[in-house]
Order: sequence, then C-alpha cells, then structure tokens
Amino acid sequence: MRGWWRQQVMGQAVVVMVVMVMSMVVADAAAVVDVYRMIQYDLRGAPMGSRRAALNHHATSGFDVAGADLSRAVVILPVLEVNISSLNEFVQNKGLLGGLLLLLPQRSHESGGGEGDDSDENVGKVLVELEQWLVHNTFQYPVYFAYEDDYVKSVLQEVSANDAAGRPATATTGGYKLVVSVSEAKKIATPTLTNIQGWLPGLRAEGDNSMLPTIAIVASYDTFGAAPALATGSDSNGSGVAMLLELARLFSRLYANPNTRGPYNLLFGLTSGGPYNYNGTQNWLRNFDQRLRESMEYALCLNSVGSSSDHMWLHVSKPPENAFIKQILSEFENVAEGLDLTVELKHKKINISNSRVAWEHEQFSRQRITAATLSQLEEASELLQQTGGIADSRRAVNETVMMRKIKLVAESLARRIYGQQGTQVEVFAAGTNLALSPAYVRSWLDLLGRTPRVAPFLGKNAPIITALHKELAQYTKDASLQHETLDSTFVFYDNTKAQLNVYQVASVTFDFIVALAVGSYLIILFVVLFITTKGVDDFLGVFRKAPSRKFKSS
Amino acid sequence: MTFFHFFNCAALTFGPHAIYYKATPLSEYDTFNTCIKAAIVYLTTTFLKLVCLATFVQVSEHDTGFDLPQELLKGLIGFLDVAGLYYALTQVSHRSISQTHKFQAVALGWAFADAVLHRLAPLWVGAKGLEFTWEYLLQGVEANAHLVFTVSLAALGSLMWLRKNKPSALVPVIYASAAVVASMPSVVSYLRKGLAWDFEKVVSFELSASIVMAFVSWRLFSACQRPSQ
Repeated sequence: MRGWWRQQVMGQAVVVMVVMVMSMVVADAAAVVDVYRMIQYDLRGAPMGSRRAALNHHATSGFDVAGADLSRAVVILPVLEVNISSLNEFVQNKGLLGGLLLLLPQRSHESGGGEGDDSDENVGKVLVELEQWLVHNTFQYPVYFAYEDDYVKSVLQEVSANDAAGRPATATTGGYKLVVSVSEAKKIATPTLTNIQGWLPGLRAEGDNSMLPTIAIVASYDTFGAAPALATGSDSNGSGVAMLLELARLFSRLYANPNTRGPYNLLFGLTSGGPYNYNGTQNWLRNFDQRLRESMEYALCLNSVGSSSDHMWLHVSKPPENAFIKQILSEFENVAEGLDLTVELKHKKINISNSRVAWEHEQFSRQRITAATLSQLEEASELLQQTGGIADSRRAVNETVMMRKIKLVAESLARRIYGQQGTQVEVFAAGTNLALSPAYVRSWLDLLGRTPRVAPFLGKNAPIITALHKELAQYTKDASLQHETLDSTFVFYDNTKAQLNVYQVASVTFDFIVALAVGSYLIILFVVLFITTKGVDDFLGVFRKAPSRKFKSS
Repeated sequence: MTFFHFFNCAALTFGPHAIYYKATPLSEYDTFNTCIKAAIVYLTTTFLKLVCLATFVQVSEHDTGFDLPQELLKGLIGFLDVAGLYYALTQVSHRSISQTHKFQAVALGWAFADAVLHRLAPLWVGAKGLEFTWEYLLQGVEANAHLVFTVSLAALGSLMWLRKNKPSALVPVIYASAAVVASMPSVVSYLRKGLAWDFEKVVSFELSASIVMAFVSWRLFSACQRPSQ
C-alpha cells in the first residue's frame, strides 16, 4: 500500500516537472548578432517590403544547394555577391523561402573625407541598386541585414563548406540554426512628421509697420531606406541639414547686432516627410498664416549638396524667363565664379494632377510661393529613390567642397539681403568672426551620419529632433516644433532591430542514437546488477511472473 | 529536439542510481530510509565544506594555474567527506540490515545527492538550449564514475569502522585504498587545472580509476568476509 502511494506521488511529481520543463524556453546561443530588419510598409494599400519578422530556420548559403529545403532555410548572402536579376526571377516566381539574411561589408569607423576609393564606389552602386529593388518588392518571409564581422564570416564559411560537401543543414542533419524571436510587426498607428522651424526677424525701418519680406531656407531631414535602422542618409539629406544649420549660425551672428540686421526676415525650416512627396512641407505650408505667406519673397530648398562635384543645379518650377528667377540665378552665378563652382538652372513644370512631388520647392510653388531647390542632383528622382538609405554613407560627403557650397549660398543670400547684388563684397570672410566653421559642419555631418532618421519610426520625442530643435533655438527666435500625421498613402510597420541567435544544433538522428545508447547502457547495467546480486534464476523468474513492471526504461 | 537531449543526459546521470536501487537486493530489504538519511548527511557535510572553503581558501586571480598550497588545503577540506561518510555509516541508526547492504545504501544515497546537487542545475539550464555540446553527456558519465567511487569508499569505510575482526595483513592496504579514493577529487582537479586535460580525458581517467578502485575494494571486502556471512 505504501509503495503504491509513493509511486503515485512520484508519478505526479514527474508530470509536474515535465510540464514545468516544457513551458520554460531557454535561449542560450553560441553567439548573438545584431540584425536590422527590412522595412515593411503599405503603399496605397499594396503590401511592400518584408512581411514577416520572426525567424527560426536552418542556415544555407545559396539558392542552388542540392538537398536543401528552401522553404525551411535562411539564405545568407553577402550583398556584393547578390545577383539581382536571378533574385528577381526567384521572387517573381513566388519562390518559397524561410528567410533572407543580407550581409553588409564591415563598416569602417572613419568619418567622411569624400575620397573613397573605387571599391567604396562599387559597394555604393551595388547597394543603391539592391536597395531600390528591395524597396519596390514584396517578400512574404523575413529579410534582415547584418554587418559582416569575423564571427558571421566564419559561420558563412562553415555553412558553405557543408553545403558544397552535400550536407545541407536540415532538421535531420543538424547544422547552424538562425533564430530571431520577435513578435510580428504591428502597424504604426499614427506616424508623426515633425517640422522644426526657427525665425530670425529682420530690422524694420523706423515708422514702418508693414511686414518685412521673408526669405525661407528649408531642408528636409528625414530618410527612407531598405532597412530603417540603417538609413542614415549623409548626403540625402544630412548635407542639406548641416548647410542649413551653418547658415542659421552665420546669420544669427549678423542679426544679433541691430546695426547689421538685414531688412529681411529669415525663416529656417527643417521639414520631415521628404521621401513621401514632401508631405511634411505641405502641411507646414498649409499652417502658414496669410500675412506670412504674402510676405514670403522666396524659399530656397537644400537637397543633397554634399558630393565632390562642383556643379550645382538650381531647380525651379517658374519659367526661366521670369525676371525674379533670373535675378536669383545671377546672384548665385556671380558668387559661384569666385568659388570655382557652377550653378545651372533647370526648369521642371509642375503637374497639379500628379501627386508625385519630386522637389521640395514644388510644394511652395503649389502654394504660389516662389521657390527653388539647390542640389547637386540633375534629375528629379522617382518615389522612394535617393532617400538616404544604407548606400548613402558618411564617406559620400566631401566636406571641403561642401564648405565652398555653403559659402556660395551664404554670400548670395547676404548680397540679396543687404542689397549688394553685383558687388564683390565678401561678408563671411575667413579669419573674421563671421567665418564659416568646418568643424561645426563636420560635427553635424558626423551626428547625422550616425542617426537613422526614418520619420514614422522617430516619433515625437526622438533625440535627433530634440537636438535639431535645440540647435535652432540657439540661433533663432521662436524655434518651434509642429507635429503632423503622415498621410495614409503610406502605412508603416514597426520592428526595425532585433538580435539574431546562432545555434549549432545536433541532428535529430544524433539525439535518437544517444537515446538508444543510454537506454541500452541502463538496461545492461540493470541486467548485470540483477544477475550478480540475485542470480540468474531470479532474473529469468522476472520474465515469467511480471513482464514489464520491474524494468526501468530511460 | 532539445528536451530530448535533456532527458538523455538526465537518464545517463540519474538512471544508474535508480537502477542500482532496483536491481540489487537493496529494494527488497527496503533500505530507502538509509538512502534518505545518507543524503541528508551529505547535504550537511557539503554545507560544512563550503563554509570551510569560504573561510580558509583564497580565490586566486588566475584560474588556470594549479596552486599547490591552495589545492592541498582544498584536499584537506575534502577529507570532510570521509568524516561525513563515517558519521553516516556509524552514528546514524539504521534498521537492522546487513553490513553489505548498509554500505551500499549509504553510498547510493550519498552519490545520488551529489549528482543532484552538482549536476542537475547545469543540466537543466544548459542541456535544454538549442546549442549542442558534449559536456552534458560527459557529465553523466562522470556521475556514473562518481557513483562507483562512492560505493568503493563506503565499502572501505565500513571495513574500517564497522568490522571488528580484520586480517591484520590487509589493514594497511585498506587504509591506503581508502586514502587513494578519498583524494580522488584533488587528483582530478590537478589534472584539469594543472595539466589542463580536456574534459573527455579527465572523465575517461575517472572512469578507469573508479573501476580499478572498485575492483580493489571488492577483493578486500570479500577477503574480510567471515565465512558465516
């Protein structure tokens, strides 16, 4: 009786233990790698990007590995070895895949200089093409980016070696298993676009109560890329933001003293929503009051001014014959000559019925405000192109040439403000306290080159927004934030960063073999002990009486 | 299949204890209480050992070296094990069971408590993960070797303290073997740290040593058997 009761208790204890054990999941990987998820978004309702986030599959090194089950495998591809056309074929044929892990070349930690060598350029080109293809396609499986450090390289090497030797990793053969345990991505309910503005009031002549004319200097600061956690956009549009901040700093110096304050108001605007047809700019303009709108003489938008090229374009939507446009252009050209830069006019008509807004100045033009965009880019980009993705690295920006371009804009604006058109006066001369500050520009370029700035993922209180706000508040009056919601053409899903656990798993067959070995060992042990202590007769007697009660199996 | 692996390793580590109990006459004579008491004595002994280790032994900065004075001190504290076994064999009152069964039951309880205390937690945490290593299987083999060691030590201990009439020629041999078995932990730690052997080599050494010592103690035990028993 006692024995039976004891067995009951033991049995129940075992069951409880088993249940407890099953409900605890221990993740104790050999290595953990930071991975960055590809963007997931809906464009006008159509699902784009990678639609899944959780990953739990074996690793494989390519699409043509014999014996591998691709629908339960994660393909690891270094980006430089990606063949976009064959990948495209695979995706168009709706091939099933467990997941895709793209390896980016190891990032070096040098800051920009603009003198990247050819390999950098090649990498840049490959990345641009790949990002464009990724962003415009839909993937029903998780896609992640990771940097190729030594550990990842060694894993890939081992996986390739195994695949080449005909032993692809599957559940039955063991190998490397890649696990990302995150929940599925949720929609970002209210993606916020935050515009930051600062105001430098000009000097009104005594007795004059009318509103002074205003010149606006605008740059969009947000980015978009295939991996939102990596879209740091140094040239698009980190360079524009840095230029704007330097201009704000210089003109705030000039305007600090009433003797040198110009008869123009200056409005600095850092807008968000650039990649999404300049949605933020549109909202910002809608909120202008009528007086401000009427006083706006013109708006200069800065977009991608950081390359080493000395040829700049002034994009306008008013026809080139327009007198005002001619004036502005000649102001720029006069200054540019002295700086070994060239500025060329490019005219693009606005099509009101087309919702695509390729340049920021078009949003102003739609509100009947004269505007132009200064850029090193010649052609207008398509939707979600040139938006500062992974390919746009800090090294793409050439600070030296950029300083000359900043001087170009600063001097041209100064000549307009102080009525010095046609003269060769230099306001921001080197060695004075109005000199340009390369260190200032460099520090902002470095910060922006480290900060991913995809607007829906920034939220209202992102550190970069606070930093830009503080900076403008330092140099201008009435620095304020304006929060708007991104229009519903674009819907974004969260989950941008995760940790990848890499496990080396043994195959199921191995576990079975071990179980068999342990089981037979225990049985042999039992038999040996039984026979040596009680004798062979007793042993055989067990079989005759109660066949399986005394046998303990593992 | 990681729970599978956990069950495999657990079976390898704890299975032999259960089988030893069931397969030998121990189960028939209902020596379970003896095992429990021995386990409790083991717990107390380990606790005392830990207190001594914490008080007297210095933690060295370099883990890899084999610091002879410290290791000797640790070995000395290890002899507390022997004292514990002595206590379990002699002082704790058992129901009247024969000599042969008493030492086996004590050894079983002792070794089982040791296996649970030292090996269950690492097994639980480690073997359930996805990552595979040989470590836990080797740990199971080590637990088996330890069981054999404990049985030999208990046999020699019972010979030393419970048996009144021993052939005098064998007495020094008995004490020598007991000393060898008791100092096994120090030897193993020397192999691991001083000579930096791999875990597999250490475990195979333990296994072979345990079989040798078991054989020796078995011969000694049967030599000391009285004809009437």
